Amino acid sequence: MDLIQKSRDSTDSEGPIRCIFFCEFHPVMGPIISCQVPENYISKELLDSISVYIITKSELQRSTITVTLSNYKILGFPVRIDDKKYARNAFQFNLCFVCDSTARTVHYEPVVTKFSDYLTAMEIENNFLSDGSLPAKLTPILKQVLHDLNTKGECALTEGPTATHLKVVKIRSDPLPVADHQVPVFIKPLPTQQWDLTTQHVAAYIDGFNHIARIAALSDVENSLVKACVQNLIYYGVVSLVPLFQYGNVYCTTPKLKVLAQNSELQKKCLNYVAKSQRQLPCIRDVFRMYAAMTRGTTIRDLCLRFNPPNLRINERKLVQFGVLEEIIRRVHKYPIYLGENAELRKSLSGAASVDEICCSTGVSAQQLEDQLDRDNNVVVLWK
Amino acid sequence: MVTSCLHDVTERWLCKSCEKTGNQTSIQLNIHEYLFGSVFLIHSLNDPNNFNFRHIIKSNEPSNTRRKNPYTLPIVEDLLQSPPQLTSNISNGHLTGFTDEFLSSLFAVKAEELCNRKFELKVNDVRFVSHPTLLQRRNKTQDESGLLLINIVFALQAVASHSVVKCYHDLSKRMGIVLKHEEQRCGFISEQTLTMTTAHDDGYANNTDISFKVILEKCILAQNIKKMYDDLCSTGLVSIRINKWIPLTFCLPQKVHQWHLQGKVIEPEDINRCLLSLKPYHSLLLLCPVQKIHNFSPLDGSPSLIRLLSQYSPLKNLQTLAADADLTLFHVYQLTAHLVYWAKATVIFPVCSTNKYVIAYDAPLSINSPLVDKFNELFPESNLIQTISEFSLPTSLGQKCNPLCHPSQQNQLVQMIIWMLQHHLLLQLHTYIQYIPLEHGFKKSSSGAETKTTNPTSKSTVSTSTFSSGNTVNSRTESESGLSNISGTPEPYSDVDLNNKDGNLESLSFTSVDEDKPEYQEELLLDFPEEERNAVFKIQSSNNREDLTLFARLCRKKYFTGDHHIEEIMYLENLRRSQLLQLLDKFRDVLITYETVDPAIAMFSCSL
Repeated sequence: MDLIQKSRDSTDSEGPIRCIFFCEFHPVMGPIISCQVPENYISKELLDSISVYIITKSELQRSTITVTLSNYKILGFPVRIDDKKYARNAFQFNLCFVCDSTARTVHYEPVVTKFSDYLTAMEIENNFLSDGSLPAKLTPILKQVLHDLNTKGECALTEGPTATHLKVVKIRSDPLPVADHQVPVFIKPLPTQQWDLTTQHVAAYIDGFNHIARIAALSDVENSLVKACVQNLIYYGVVSLVPLFQYGNVYCTTPKLKVLAQNSELQKKCLNYVAKSQRQLPCIRDVFRMYAAMTRGTTIRDLCLRFNPPNLRINERKLVQFGVLEEIIRRVHKYPIYLGENAELRKSLSGAASVDEICCSTGVSAQQLEDQLDRDNNVVVLWK
Repeated sequence: MVTSCLHDVTERWLCKSCEKTGNQTSIQLNIHEYLFGSVFLIHSLNDPNNFNFRHIIKSNEPSNTRRKNPYTLPIVEDLLQSPPQLTSNISNGHLTGFTDEFLSSLFAVKAEELCNRKFELKVNDVRFVSHPTLLQRRNKTQDESGLLLINIVFALQAVASHSVVKCYHDLSKRMGIVLKHEEQRCGFISEQTLTMTTAHDDGYANNTDISFKVILEKCILAQNIKKMYDDLCSTGLVSIRINKWIPLTFCLPQKVHQWHLQGKVIEPEDINRCLLSLKPYHSLLLLCPVQKIHNFSPLDGSPSLIRLLSQYSPLKNLQTLAADADLTLFHVYQLTAHLVYWAKATVIFPVCSTNKYVIAYDAPLSINSPLVDKFNELFPESNLIQTISEFSLPTSLGQKCNPLCHPSQQNQLVQMIIWMLQHHLLLQLHTYIQYIPLEHGFKKSSSGAETKTTNPTSKSTVSTSTFSSGNTVNSRTESESGLSNISGTPEPYSDVDLNNKDGNLESLSFTSVDEDKPEYQEELLLDFPEEERNAVFKIQSSNNREDLTLFARLCRKKYFTGDHHIEEIMYLENLRRSQLLQLLDKFRDVLITYETVDPAIAMFSCSL
């Protein structure tokens, strides 16, 4: 079990850059490493065996190439500058990053490309690479890049007439589209950088209780812009979406609930989050008991009547929000399905849309809709 | 103004998402379609003629990616902004930008350091995976000229995960081994390459399409590889006979599980994790009829598998199954693992009347779902939606069957539940128990981890202490059983106790064993921290020796940490459900129960 976990972690980890080397095609000696930080990390023999993929044919010029060997992963971007002044009418080089063979390197690709472009520009402008004293000039730069990227994730180069900034950008998956009835919650404070005007405007209304449509109305920003903006914040991991809080909602517990009992860090976080007032924190047993009581068929209203959360110094809205964010609990949605003959109802109540979605698109309140569904014998409601 | 600002920020991924949202299904498919080409290459090392042969299969089905709308006009604004130049070698699911000659030069790895090991090369957004294999030609002597390099390269999307890459590498490696053996046995490769090169030379050299067609007709190896490629693309299950002699079967788990779990990627590690947590009380649920598995398994398949299948029933747990099929439990585990990996079966808790089921939250249930018709074919009198709606709230089989129910009806109900489990429409809920003795959790609210780490040591001291005090305990039980024979009769006692509503029995026990009580209580809970012990003593049932003993025993074995469900505790401790439920009820102040799915086996039905 541990082994699997470990292997998984190691394969997905974003390992540091182990080495940066500069390889060029020497008119006499062929492919050679002319500059390397740290020294002798990649041996000459190793380079010879993979030189096909480092100093490449013309088809592979200007493509990002990654070669995975048994202990290294070499990421390069072969460049060729055609000019009569060179010995073979062209200067070929490749700046390569070396990582562990199990590390992910996709996020370094834009950096390698940009760095190569920077070197290309310097070469074209003042023969930076080909004037013979390359190691002396390039070594400090490579050292700086290696150090800065591994520690800070960014690096500013101001060598020569041009300057460039390298930054490792984490690759994240695209967030799902945002729906009207969802509620954005900040999961970490908004970084104090210059956000665009819409985000600045919208962020003020994200309080964990307003849903998208309401935020749009309150901030007087168009609905689709709010969605795009929230989606963007989700991409940067600042905001997370939770379902709209209603006392009629039903939640159920997930296997992660046991973590709450075992992990004291999470407990502390939880108590601070769900407390009615910060002066008097609730007891973990009460909180746990309330979570444990969330089953299918028990609404939050029922729980409030049973436990009286204010008495336990618990804010039930926050309780639900924390549970959903930490995936301790999960919302149970209701899906009405119409089994009668009416074609229109069959279409709108096909089972694809939950009560929430129907309410949002038709503008009917949940109570009204449910009353109506209750009255119709042809409607079956699935909870899932 | 606002829009343009927003555009800047969101540009990063909006560009991507715009491209994709054109067709929702295309994304779905694309996630699992990694493979879009394979290259077969034979390269002779150090041959004066530099003999070099390649056979390249590219996917030529119309791809499922976004189709360009011919009516769209280029947006001028976008052109001015000069979008970042993205170099891609995939267009419409085809490999582009590489000529065949170039590809073969790329994979004819010269250096011996790169041979006979994993070869992985990523160019822009294409990832090539292979296992270059060196082999000696049969009729040639051990000299350099007879050395051949065989390389079966799979072109995958660069986003393919490590595990997918690993699986394809494994396939390439196995193919290499098979071919090496065939060459040694009967000169298969030499013969096949001859067929291929003559086909090339027979005047078709200028038209590669025709020559490939001819090769495909004449050459067994090319047919084998084509079949392998087609199998990989369609089902993910490869079952071929190389040279009509050596069977090569391979399963791509990320793909093969698609047929019963649409839209979910099952990684081999997930399966391993599930299989590591297999318990004797779990049960096997086949996803297809037994006959189909028989058809699939090769003639020389394990006879024990056939024996297992002959005894199979979803109502039996693995232990019973092992006993009935006369196999060891471990072997049954292995067979289960095999069937699960090959997507022929899944693991469930055996169907019984106390199981509580609910609708799986991602069950694809709607009026238009094909499952509705499929269900109707098997059970003509019932409607899937109607039937499953009864599981909106946790419902057990026992609740649904009333005693007046005809046995055949009950049988049908079981069949329906099994069908719904096979289609992952139902989830089973288990009751888990969490012991929280104090309001603030454990001994100190702040040191949960601390108590956890100290527990093992305290546990060990306990066991020694109970050993040392073993004599006294024994003597006391004896004396006690002499005092009141109520405690001497183990099980009925608790029932009586419950029925009589504690009242007189309470007082009775109170008076009779008043002096002993604190002592044996202390001893039973010796290892518990002071505060926890006091909290437990506050509960009335702690006065009952039986209950407290059971409680202390289960607690000490860490059954109340949310890791074990009731059924597991029952199985491991040989308890009856009623006993356990009574205990939970009596100690409900410190034991909190909750219902959720079993994470060990839930991975196939929900992605929690």
